[in-house]
Amino acid sequence: MTMLSDTYTIFWREMKRYKKSRSGILIRLIQPAIWIIVMGNTFASTRPLIQSVGFNGSYIEFMAPGVIMLTAIFTSIFGGVNTLWDRRYGFMNKALVSPVSRSSIALGKMLAISLISTLQSSLILGIALALGVHMSNLFMILPILLTVTVFSLGFSGISVIVAATSKSQETFWGLINFLGMPLFMLSPALFPLELLPSWLAFIARLNPVTYSVLLIRQMMTGTVQMLSVAIEMAVICGFVVVMVALASYVFTREVNKPF
Amino acid sequence: MLYAVETDKLSKVYSSGLKAVDEISIKLENGEIFGFLGPNGAGKSTTIMILTTLLKPTSGKAFVAGFDVTTQAKNVRQNIGYVQQDSTVDEYLTGRENLELQARLNHIPKDVRTKRIDEILEIIELADRQNETAVTYSGGMRKRLDIGGGLLNMPKVLFLDEPTLGLDIQTRYKIWEYIKKIHDEFRMSIFLTTHYMEEADKLCNNISIIDNGKIKITGSPKELKSSLGNEIVIFEIDSETKLEGLVSEIRKTPTVKDVSTNGPVVTVFTTSGDQLTPQIFQQANNLEIKIETISLTKPTLDDVFLAHTGRELREDEGKYDRKKMRERLRRIRAS
Repeated sequence: MTMLSDTYTIFWREMKRYKKSRSGILIRLIQPAIWIIVMGNTFASTRPLIQSVGFNGSYIEFMAPGVIMLTAIFTSIFGGVNTLWDRRYGFMNKALVSPVSRSSIALGKMLAISLISTLQSSLILGIALALGVHMSNLFMILPILLTVTVFSLGFSGISVIVAATSKSQETFWGLINFLGMPLFMLSPALFPLELLPSWLAFIARLNPVTYSVLLIRQMMTGTVQMLSVAIEMAVICGFVVVMVALASYVFTREVNKPF
Repeated sequence: MLYAVETDKLSKVYSSGLKAVDEISIKLENGEIFGFLGPNGAGKSTTIMILTTLLKPTSGKAFVAGFDVTTQAKNVRQNIGYVQQDSTVDEYLTGRENLELQARLNHIPKDVRTKRIDEILEIIELADRQNETAVTYSGGMRKRLDIGGGLLNMPKVLFLDEPTLGLDIQTRYKIWEYIKKIHDEFRMSIFLTTHYMEEADKLCNNISIIDNGKIKITGSPKELKSSLGNEIVIFEIDSETKLEGLVSEIRKTPTVKDVSTNGPVVTVFTTSGDQLTPQIFQQANNLEIKIETISLTKPTLDDVFLAHTGRELREDEGKYDRKKMRERLRRIRAS
């Protein structure tokens, strides 16, 4: 019970800070918006290719789920950076000498990051709809955002692990950029898996981003197939459970060492 | 619980081989303000990190509020307040929200939280600015907020790590008033580290001076000062040639504790300066020495500090030194 309220305390603090940084909210939307507008139109002529693998819609409609995931990936993978600031500027020590458990601190941060990521992604979804992306059923917005939340929780784990083990900003950003872009590119976010060379498609199948993109794409177009949805959800949930456990273990271990 | 803080041969050796804390044994009585003094890099921060459960000792024992810091860390955390050297005020939050956060971290029940925060805001005199974001607060206000945060859980032991570092004289005096006020009001024990001898002299019941990881001396400010003699006579003579004779004459006086010379300037540590001064005039006259200037002063803790650490304080050189020290510490810890 205390674990729950401790987690909420950290979550509360992170959300307070997010709310007060309004300019950041908009700045972080610029990049995914550019992706939709520029990439969506640049590759508009690939429509016949995409239709050849059974997608009935424009390229923008095809890549919109990809850009929602782009927002989710980067918001959540960058989100842990304040762990470094907290350790540098004493908030971490303040929390560590209080009775709050170490794993609650990690978990509270991850939950906040995942909610922030969902909020950012929902704004991108709004932009996509405004640009004329068609959704078969607007009620699907809710499960789409839920998928983003769950996925981001797992991804925020990566961020917290990297932040807890890095001693400096440079190490953090180096590692995060090394991880983020390939994870996005090695997925069907921009191009269908069926058209990839088989070795690339194989690697993409090992990437949890792939399953989230496929799941969201089905929800947006309304072509939900129960079997594939079940597999995708299972993969995502498994990924999240592993990441949450790993992140709280690594975080607890690292913060007990001198910074 | 006999002592608020008790350590027994506490040591910390970093993986680099640096022995930051070397078998220190200190005892802090319940309800006292204890000053932990030492030059930069003496081992103060390491000690405080061990006592607040942030670092594990290499060997030895430490008890805080009666609990073992290594095996009962959670109990220790429930009973301490820790005000860090650098401000930890969250600039994005208001003063009140900062305290709210601290109260939640310390598991203060919801029903008493609001009342407790109101009380603390009154004590630190920030009630009128509580709903402004902390980014608008001055250095002194932030420090007060930090101290207020450390008080929220009514700790048995409050750790204050250099509470007046980097503050102007007016603010420093104000902070001392707050520390005295909260100590009177809550009767908790306070473990204070500082570079300012005046601060230790004004606030502390007992003081330990640490250097190179070892405790050099412990006692009340008064005891430490009188260990050097109660008074110091400093005089300057016209010629250094007859100095030897005069110094050996002065040394024969039973009230004289120590004599040191620096060119024509002689410093005499004594227990009765009033009687010694005319006597020195007499002795100088007999040896046909002319005394140019003479003054009688009381020893300060600075004198005690320098007598035991043999180094000047480097605090007033400002931020540069502190930064360099932290870099050094970080490198040591990282390796």
